[in-house]
Amino acid sequence: MEKTEEESEEAVLKRLEESVNACPDDPSLHFDLGVLLWEKGGKSEKEKAAEHFVISAKLHPQNGAAFRYLGLYYAQVSADTQRALKCYQRAVSLNPDDSHSGEALCDLLDQQGKESLEASLCREASAKSPKAFWAFRRLGFLQLHQNKWSEAVQSLQHAIRGYPTSADLWQALGLAYQRLGRFTAAVKSYGRAIELDDTDVFALVESGNIFLMLGSFKKGVEQFLQALDISPQSVSAQYGLASGLLGLAEECINLGAFRWGASLLEEASSVAKAGTHLAGNISCIWKLHGDIQLAYAKCFPWTEQGQGLEFDAEAFNASILYWKQTCCIAAVSAKRSYQRALHLAPWQANIYTDIAIASDLISSLNKSYGNNLNAWQLSAKMALGALLLEGDNNEFWVALGCLSDHNALKQHALIRGLQLDVSLAVGWAYLGKLYRKEGAKQLAKQAFDCARSIDPSLSLPWAGMSADFHARNLAPDEAFESCLRAVQILPLAEFQIGLAKLALLSGHLSSSRVHGAILQAVQHAPHSPESHNLNGLVCESRFDYQSAAAAYRRARCAISSCSASISKSYTRDISLNLARSLSKAGNATDALLECEDLKKEGMLDAEGLQIYAFSLWQLGKQDLALSFVRNLAASVSTMEQKFVVASVSFICRMLYCIPGLDSAINSILKMPEKLFQNSRVSFIVSAIHALDQSNRLESVVSSSRSFVQSPVEVAGMHFLIALSKLVKQGTEFCLGVQSGIAHLRKALHMFPNSSLMRNLLGYLLLSSKEWNDTHVATRCCNIDASDSANKVGLKSASEILGAGAVACYAIGNKNRKFSFPTCTYQCLKEPGAIQQLQKCLRQEPWNHNFRYLLILNFIQKAREERFPHNLCVVLKRLISVALSSDLYTKTDMSYQKFQLLLCASEISLQSEDNIGCINHAKNASTLLLPDDYLFFSHLQLCRAYAAESDSLNLQKEYIRCLELKTDYHIGWICLKFIELRYNVQNDTNILELSFKESSKERNYSWNMGMAVFNLVWGLISLRNEDFLSAEEFLAQACSLAGAESCLLLCHGATCMELARKLCDSKFLLLAVKSLTKAQETSVIPLPIVSALLAQAEGSLNSKEKWEKNIRLEWFSWPPEMRPAELFFQMHLLARQSKSVSISSSNVELCQSPQRWILRAIHTNPSCTRYWKVLGRFDLIQRS
Amino acid sequence: MKLAGLKSVENAHDDSVWAATWVPATETRSALLLTGSLDETVRLWSSDELVLERTNTGHCLGVASVAAHPSGLIAASASLDSFVRVFDVDTNATIATLEAPPSEVWQLRFNPQGSTLAVAGGGSASIKLWDTATWDLIATLPIPRPEGPKPSDKSGSKKFVLSVAWSSDGKRLACGSMDGTISIFDVARAKFLHHLEGHFMPVRSLVYSPIEPRLLFTASDDMHVHMYDAEGKSLVGAMSGHESWVLSVDVSPDGAAIATGSSDRTVRLWDLSMRAAVQTMSNHTDQVWGVAFRPPGGSGVRTGRLASVSDDKSISLYDYS
Repeated sequence: MEKTEEESEEAVLKRLEESVNACPDDPSLHFDLGVLLWEKGGKSEKEKAAEHFVISAKLHPQNGAAFRYLGLYYAQVSADTQRALKCYQRAVSLNPDDSHSGEALCDLLDQQGKESLEASLCREASAKSPKAFWAFRRLGFLQLHQNKWSEAVQSLQHAIRGYPTSADLWQALGLAYQRLGRFTAAVKSYGRAIELDDTDVFALVESGNIFLMLGSFKKGVEQFLQALDISPQSVSAQYGLASGLLGLAEECINLGAFRWGASLLEEASSVAKAGTHLAGNISCIWKLHGDIQLAYAKCFPWTEQGQGLEFDAEAFNASILYWKQTCCIAAVSAKRSYQRALHLAPWQANIYTDIAIASDLISSLNKSYGNNLNAWQLSAKMALGALLLEGDNNEFWVALGCLSDHNALKQHALIRGLQLDVSLAVGWAYLGKLYRKEGAKQLAKQAFDCARSIDPSLSLPWAGMSADFHARNLAPDEAFESCLRAVQILPLAEFQIGLAKLALLSGHLSSSRVHGAILQAVQHAPHSPESHNLNGLVCESRFDYQSAAAAYRRARCAISSCSASISKSYTRDISLNLARSLSKAGNATDALLECEDLKKEGMLDAEGLQIYAFSLWQLGKQDLALSFVRNLAASVSTMEQKFVVASVSFICRMLYCIPGLDSAINSILKMPEKLFQNSRVSFIVSAIHALDQSNRLESVVSSSRSFVQSPVEVAGMHFLIALSKLVKQGTEFCLGVQSGIAHLRKALHMFPNSSLMRNLLGYLLLSSKEWNDTHVATRCCNIDASDSANKVGLKSASEILGAGAVACYAIGNKNRKFSFPTCTYQCLKEPGAIQQLQKCLRQEPWNHNFRYLLILNFIQKAREERFPHNLCVVLKRLISVALSSDLYTKTDMSYQKFQLLLCASEISLQSEDNIGCINHAKNASTLLLPDDYLFFSHLQLCRAYAAESDSLNLQKEYIRCLELKTDYHIGWICLKFIELRYNVQNDTNILELSFKESSKERNYSWNMGMAVFNLVWGLISLRNEDFLSAEEFLAQACSLAGAESCLLLCHGATCMELARKLCDSKFLLLAVKSLTKAQETSVIPLPIVSALLAQAEGSLNSKEKWEKNIRLEWFSWPPEMRPAELFFQMHLLARQSKSVSISSSNVELCQSPQRWILRAIHTNPSCTRYWKVLGRFDLIQRS
Repeated sequence: MKLAGLKSVENAHDDSVWAATWVPATETRSALLLTGSLDETVRLWSSDELVLERTNTGHCLGVASVAAHPSGLIAASASLDSFVRVFDVDTNATIATLEAPPSEVWQLRFNPQGSTLAVAGGGSASIKLWDTATWDLIATLPIPRPEGPKPSDKSGSKKFVLSVAWSSDGKRLACGSMDGTISIFDVARAKFLHHLEGHFMPVRSLVYSPIEPRLLFTASDDMHVHMYDAEGKSLVGAMSGHESWVLSVDVSPDGAAIATGSSDRTVRLWDLSMRAAVQTMSNHTDQVWGVAFRPPGGSGVRTGRLASVSDDKSISLYDYS
């Protein structure tokens, strides 16, 4: 096959040769032959081909291809560059799109170094044809080479249209954009180049550099990492990575994240170090390494070692030493690196400044100028070195101004700097600092103001402004704000310490911004006692006394290891702070030790004495404490005014605590009255006064109360007075709740907004055990108030609502399906207590009180709904969760535990788990509680045994109940009920007697109690079918309870029954009377009442009233609960009305009597009466 | 001619060793090697075992240059803060401290007669001459600007003077600058003679031949070593071979060979008759900042020695024959 091809080629060649011979003037034949020969590749053939090309070109000089082949021939075969050039030139000028010739031509020109010729050629070709992309490409590269950036951009853009996938072109375009400062365009071009060729290190590095320049260090770092992946030896990528990491670290440090910054710097340092190994003679890498180390030395944070609670001075000192050493080593390393940089490039002025800064840092860390033989300090001298090289650089002047030790030189340098550039904010700021240090306040102020107006993002002027706020007449708040700004701009330890000081003055100490700042300050100034002391103060204001004490200990330790002299009073202040925070943290022993140390040095002032006495008292050394209190009292007269109030308050309290009430009162009476003329003292005195039954302090209290003025304080005082009334008006066993309530009611009139008083009032009302007060209690508290206002006082509004809801079953009951509340206090509009308590519990899941109240409310709800299964399950779980809490092991919570156990017992009883019920109740009966309460656990046991029909145990528990007795009449009533119901053997009438005893004290409630008691009797009589006595009991109950619709209904029903039995109309009249009253008094229409009344009236032949009452009855039932009998009655009514045919507005007319009957049968198909009536209807219809 | 490694001291200093020179032998002792380092110390080593004789402290910054008096009795060291300490070699007693503004002291050289100390003036663009008897400043030889002073270019950084060398007869002084120019001065008349062109990057080291007072060898960051006829203002030869900056150069006492140290971490020995490197020592692991041939003299020492110091903190000693 090949052979035939060859042969055919030969044949073609031959034929062509023949035809050329035939017509030697045809250029195209010559050209074709030339191409054919050229392709054959041998040297002789090429020479022959060249001959043909020459002929072809001569005959047809417009054929560019011929010239191209000739060019190729001269360049490759005969090495005649000049001719090759000419041929190529001709080829290109004939066909500017001929990239082959163009490239070859340019390469030849390039070899000869004729750059400008090359450029002009390309320009010419590109001007001739827009498709000469090769020319654009060449031109672009050349222009790039000649730094003609904007022209290069155009050429390259054009060239990219021809070669869109050439990474080199995109890279070149990126470079051109970068040099033009069009960074986003450059990044895009580089990105395209990287997309096309992901090993393009140049594009990666350059785009990384652009990112660094634009400040997006993170992106830059990514680019450099990628570049290093491809080329791990690339110094520029390493340099970029290290500087990117440095940038990131600086960002972190400016945010205050020192540890993060330090770790980034460690990484950066190792990268830079690797760079110096690769290229040790590049000055800028050493400088970068120096920068990184210097930043590290400045930012490395101190960390406390040994996190134990015990303070270890040695460990503390060691950790400071370690911190200092680390910083120092980094600074020395920075200095060394700068020196290497300088050694490599001593003509670079800025490195002198860098060395100056590094050595300044080292000397400030070492605080020693040791082996310095020069008169000049090294840092100042090196700063001067920079100036000698570049005297017109204002930054160098400022650096000299900062680093020099001589104030005159400083001032001169700064002013020179400002002469060079008057808007140099840094210069103004340092000048201000210098003036401030020298005491020239006015000049300092001007300089700072100037700096701030030039550059408000500079921190120093803000700090300076806040530092002399006294001179500027700034409020401490404003000073605090401006210092805060300084700290936010630059987290410098000095600023942060200043911020904490200002916070102390302006009362922002507990702000978390100050807390954060002082923690950072401690990290950078662990050797300064001040930072630790302020940290302690901040912790103390945040109620973290343990940390505060630790901080003060560190502060004291820092003082002892500090070389500079520190005033004694400062040491004393710290010791006092320490003693105080220890005492607050509950560590009285250590606090005492501190106070004793202070006393030994004779530096115990009023505050110290207070702490001393308090600690002694806490440790039980009463006499010693008392003697110190006396000392304190003796020194009150000579005390500064600001200490007097605290001291007097303290003395009063300690006197009350140690010797007791009488001694306290006597001492108070002895003290001059002017000491009590303060609102805070007034509270203490009033509290003591409250406990004193003989009112000896009346005059002192009344005079000091006139100093209670602010509304909040006055409300608080009313609160206290109300409590004192409880104590004073009460008996030995019972607090005078009513008088407290009376006072609060009056006071609340003046301060209707005070939730403090409202909540107390609610609490007192709940405790008053009076019948209706629970309803008032829930209404006097404002649960809609914001949470913070809700918490004040002894109980929160939500707790009062919850407790009140338990006390009255009607509160929160909205569903009329289950019961018809007869409570006349109209609590139905109240929001659901259960919902409210759930809200509270969700807000504070740790609050056991809410959970407890929620359980009680749920029990109430379950009882109302006859203990449905689902509620029982919920309750069981809630109770078991509550009981599992450790809280209830405490004795002061045992009442709650008792209640919860009884609830659990009740739930068990209702779910027919008698054993569980008995166990819970027995558990409850073992708790240590007053007999009053324990009574109920035995009552519950009675019920459980009754349910089990275990009469022996029932009897036992019954007797136990009688022995225990209770104050709560409901207990007796229940017991009585059980006694009667289960025929418990009972010889005496202890029960009745105890009952009467128990309810004597409450006037209104006593009536109610008696009424219920009678109701029980009546119900039992009814059960025994002794209607006459039942009627008597119930009549008595009604008369006692007044208008209670439920009792009236019972009475009415009994009377009806009696009337039916005895056919005595006297009872009918009685029934009518009771039932009418019941109808009138009930808040919501009670069912049955109207029906019975209708029956009674009907029996008395008052048809009209019968009709009216039947209709009323219809509406008093909820629609889904209407009984069959009601439909039947409606049928009767409908028939009546039909015959009379009154207006159609009456309800019974909405359907026919027959349909009424049908509905009755539908509701209750088992009643034959209805069927019969229906049958009658059928008869009528059929007839 | 060849070099043979004799001894190498690792961690001779705590940090990079930047400068080395030989203190000539005196009647009482043989020649000592004097080295200066970034760790702010100057150390004296006895040959051939390179035993540490003494460590001199007192500089606040790295020691950039050391120089020894031809008598072998005194030596000088200069640190980056432009602080020159002149001290007695045997006792380490400070003889004088010469203070200059920072950036204005770089390389130091005593003249062969021992009467003058020449200091390359760094940023001051001049050479300062100090009398070694009184330690007074004798003269300042400024380098004139090629195109006259330009008002806009206030900084002298273009002509930062890095290196200085005395001719063997003590009549000429050459100095190298950061822009690559070399300036020749007539010492007696304290007059600038001419520039030598050829380098275009900093000239960090130069040395006159001990045999031919006209012959000057220069080492530059442009990776070349040049040989000039200093009087004739002409470049005699250029030698290439180093792959990075040439940091230091020294001529052998017989004038037949030169040694160079470079950033490429090698020490090369060049045969002047062949004008080519005959040997490359690559025992250093970091750039070589200094090479120094031991001057002849002393008790019974005839063999040649070459010392080199490097950023890798080590000192190496070679036998030159």
